[in-house]
Amino acid sequence: MIVPRRATSATIPMAEAPAIAPPLRPSGPRPGLSSVLQRLEGPLAGRLQSGRELAAAAVHAEPRSAPWSTALPGLTRILPRGLPRGELIELTAGRSSGRFACTLMLLAAATSAGENAALIDLGDGLDPQSAAHMGIVWPRLLWARPRAVREALAATEAALTGGLPLVILDLGLPPLPGGRGAEAMWLRLARSARQHDTLLVVASPYRVAGPAASTVLELTRGRPLWSGSGGSGGTGTAPRLLEGADGRLTLTKGHRLLAPQTQALRLALPA
Amino acid sequence: MSRLACLWVPLFPLAARLRAEPELAGEALAVTAGNGAAAQIVAATRAARRLGVTAGMTLSQARARVPKLAARNRDSACERAAQEALAEIAERFSPRVEVAGPGLLFLDADGLARRFRPGPRATPDWTPERELGRALVAAARRAELPARVGIAGSKLAAQVAAQSTAGSSSSPGPLASTTEAADDAEPRIVATGGEARFLAPLPLSRLAPELRLGETLARWGLASIGDFARLPAASVVSRLGPEGAELHTVARGIDPRPLLPREPPLDLAEGSELEWPLVALEPFLFLAHAALDRISRRLELRGLGCARLALELTLEPTGRDARAWELPAPTRDTKTLLTLARLDLEARPPGAAVAAFLFTATPDRTRPEQGTLFGPPALSPERLATTLARLFALLGPDRVGSPRPIDGHRPERLALVPFAPPAAPLSLQLPSRGGVRPAPGSRAPDGGKGLLAVRTLRPPIELEVLVEPRPADREPAPIHVQSLACESNDRRPSIAGAVRIAAGPWRLEEGWWSDVPVTREYWDVELDAAGLFRIYRDVATGRWSADGVYD
Repeated sequence: MIVPRRATSATIPMAEAPAIAPPLRPSGPRPGLSSVLQRLEGPLAGRLQSGRELAAAAVHAEPRSAPWSTALPGLTRILPRGLPRGELIELTAGRSSGRFACTLMLLAAATSAGENAALIDLGDGLDPQSAAHMGIVWPRLLWARPRAVREALAATEAALTGGLPLVILDLGLPPLPGGRGAEAMWLRLARSARQHDTLLVVASPYRVAGPAASTVLELTRGRPLWSGSGGSGGTGTAPRLLEGADGRLTLTKGHRLLAPQTQALRLALPA
Repeated sequence: MSRLACLWVPLFPLAARLRAEPELAGEALAVTAGNGAAAQIVAATRAARRLGVTAGMTLSQARARVPKLAARNRDSACERAAQEALAEIAERFSPRVEVAGPGLLFLDADGLARRFRPGPRATPDWTPERELGRALVAAARRAELPARVGIAGSKLAAQVAAQSTAGSSSSPGPLASTTEAADDAEPRIVATGGEARFLAPLPLSRLAPELRLGETLARWGLASIGDFARLPAASVVSRLGPEGAELHTVARGIDPRPLLPREPPLDLAEGSELEWPLVALEPFLFLAHAALDRISRRLELRGLGCARLALELTLEPTGRDARAWELPAPTRDTKTLLTLARLDLEARPPGAAVAAFLFTATPDRTRPEQGTLFGPPALSPERLATTLARLFALLGPDRVGSPRPIDGHRPERLALVPFAPPAAPLSLQLPSRGGVRPAPGSRAPDGGKGLLAVRTLRPPIELEVLVEPRPADREPAPIHVQSLACESNDRRPSIAGAVRIAAGPWRLEEGWWSDVPVTREYWDVELDAAGLFRIYRDVATGRWSADGVYD
């Protein structure tokens, strides 16, 4: 009995290939595919096995909504595409480095754009009167004042499930009441932020979120800016006044970040 | 066309009062509104009216005419009970009853007349609807409410028919304010399709007592409802708008809105008696979850949320424990409701084994929210309510809300209001490039710079401060700062260091008119490797504290 030989694309000329088989293309980089790959994250691209998976991943890799305005010139230079939604961003800084100012400016940018935001304020440091010049639209701000880190994490998770597009967890000044929180909890918060397409910013005196943070920004205290020489009424010299503070903003972790990027930051006291 | 019966109690405040105090029925009695010299007669019995007492008189005027006039003030409890009794009477005849006002009800009379058959002594004018009306009047009389009944195809026609049944009068008229109930008031029936003809001779004021279009219609030369009904509908709409169109529909004997039957009171209670008393919380929460889930599903069926949740526990061997939780916004999230119950039971255990429990939910409508096409996505009211309830349960109501600036200078003060964000803007308002969009009246950040903020230390941290000696004309400046070791400062940030630069003092005075005046001298200090702080000296006590960190 003669068994017919199975036809393969190697034995059949291209013109005679069955219609169901995909047309063969010459190897080499294709502009469409490379643009899709550029939008994917490294680990994700490594797991892809087929073109269909690649296309599906590309769809998911697209940001679902516009990123947040960074609200601060120095930050804009480091993150020109803005702060990505659906991620956990960690902002670490010591005392008097401008962490709370950055937090308030993010809130002001969100609420003045008509978005609602939540501030989980572990340090209970918000004074609406002195923060009025920041431009926060108060009715759009949900303010929660937990007493310990455990409460703060639970409140953050509750705020994330509420669909608020921006949630900021400010851990206040050290020592943190109740420790840093379990790493699993931070991962859970990051997953919840991704699921609800919410930007979660964790402002803390030191790193707490570990690998859960997709972007890490560090603020370093610089030189305070003083004016005047300290004279009083009868001396004829100007009284000393605090004008602001200099600092540095460093992006230490981010997407496709090869080396830390640093920008100078100047924060002024309102007149 | 559907048939409606109107059940009307004339002089309802008086009827309700006489129902509560029947011994006053034959006397000259007036019901008043207001107190003292301002008290005005609202209604009076026939005996009083015969002596010249009329509605609108002051009580003094009425007493001048009838010195022995008995007077009673309006009693809302009496009237509420009478209204409920009237509604119960109507609901015995029809399940669809609309409460249209004090002593005024409409009931769906479709098909009700079939219940009645002519008896051997039926009069020639006997009709099933007339018999229905008589039955209604008789039932109301048994409840000591002298009611009248009109039956027609529209609400207005039925109401006018009910109000025109005094004595043997066959023509409708404005009788509501001048008649007292006749015990043998005969129901009046408007034939099907005859509503417009029935209403036509009535003056326009009967169409709607608060008619704002009356002057306009009078200038058009219209005197009766019939004149108005004869106008072309399109012309009425183009000249008088939606309000005029609605009145025109009513004038033609058509109801613009259907009957709105009153909802029976919701009894949203779920619970059970336990086979054996529970002493541990977890088994109870297991049962409570099932009960709350049932309540949640019942609320969902009606599109409502739980605004208040009450729990009643029956304790072993005898005793009760009742507690309730107000929710910041109506929700039907079982997990949230259970969390509220769990946290409260953990904080305040009932103190004895639980033999039975009952959850009762107070329903309320959930917040509506309209999304926009071009603006930011609106928050789901349901999810927001659930979130707020969870935060309340976690932190307590005094630690969740929306902050507001308040008058005063002390930084530790704060004001929290319930978080109820305004509707999302119709279009996305992008912040200005590279900075925040300033709120109206606020100061925008300078180009290329941000603004330094103050992190408030609430409550202030007590300090030990060394000051440098200065000439008498200058305030002594701090040169070293150290937070005091005390119990309240154990878990607070530590502040210590030599002062590099100090600026100040700035004096703050507040509440000098009160029992607790505040006078402080503030300094901005830069500490060696410790940051920028705002510290103050209390002038009254001389104590130093830090109440803010520049951050």
